[in-house]
Amino acid sequence: MTGAYPSEVVRTVGGLLSPFIAMFGLYIIAHGHYGPGGGFAGGVILAVGVILPRLTLESRIAFGSVPRELGPLAAGAGMLAFALTGLVAVLAGGAFLDYAAVEVGEIAASRLRYLGILVVEIAVGLAVFGAMVLVYDELAGSPVDG
Amino acid sequence: MILELDVLLFVILIVTAVLALKVRDLLAAVALLAAYSLFAALIFAGAVAVDVALVEAVLGAGVTGVLFIAAILTTSRRADVVDSSRRRWATLPVLAAFLALMIYASTGLPDKGDPEAPAHQGVAPVYLEDSLEDTETPNVVTALLADYRSQDTLGETLVIVTAALGAALVLRAREQEELG
Repeated sequence: MTGAYPSEVVRTVGGLLSPFIAMFGLYIIAHGHYGPGGGFAGGVILAVGVILPRLTLESRIAFGSVPRELGPLAAGAGMLAFALTGLVAVLAGGAFLDYAAVEVGEIAASRLRYLGILVVEIAVGLAVFGAMVLVYDELAGSPVDG
Repeated sequence: MILELDVLLFVILIVTAVLALKVRDLLAAVALLAAYSLFAALIFAGAVAVDVALVEAVLGAGVTGVLFIAAILTTSRRADVVDSSRRRWATLPVLAAFLALMIYASTGLPDKGDPEAPAHQGVAPVYLEDSLEDTETPNVVTALLADYRSQDTLGETLVIVTAALGAALVLRAREQEELG
């Protein structure tokens, strides 16, 4: 499942496409305010950008650029960021996850909620990305070649 | 929404689903499931549920297939032949009764996009009318998921992360068992 794919064409296409797929994932996460998308879809696409090199490229490159530890780490960090966003609102005197309660300078309440949505989408994206990479890594097993 | 297109998509959907169940080669079944998800995404897009369509296309037609194939490569590619002829006669009436109940229940559903539908009473109009002013977010779905109902999203994310961790722990335990 892991390791360099025998076909040169597949390796080249996989290597060339994966950074663009990952970038599209980031775009989808950030673009949730204005179009379809958000953390869930974006996180999955970002994970595809990491899984594709693992399917096609040498393990040294695929696991060197994104190590196995990143999966669970990203999942936990995303979850933590989401929960902390809610707690910050509570500490600021509002309800759990009420972004407008956090007063930052002169920013309007609606703008704060806009930013809060962005933070939460990034957190969800990280968590979903980590979960997908973790499941793939565990299913596919350890890298075969060095 | 175009009725003919919807009917065609639903027919393809059902055909791919039945074929995915019937086929013995599991790799072919995975490909059929991916096709199923793609057509489901098209139906969602046709119903102007673009966010759902995107997730269905990305998850169902994309990553799930890869994960299934990874699972097949570590287990077996052929499905065991199960003799279920006797069980079939027991399940058929149950399925038929369930289908009849579902069709009967669907006659009481409101029309698609009916403004008088119960789902469009209560808080829904408030979300639709005020979300742009409240959150500066043009996409109502995002405003709903990440602001008004962010606790639901927190729970959903927790479910995904927990499921992934659970699957990883089970797989790792099995790997260590095999190593001795």
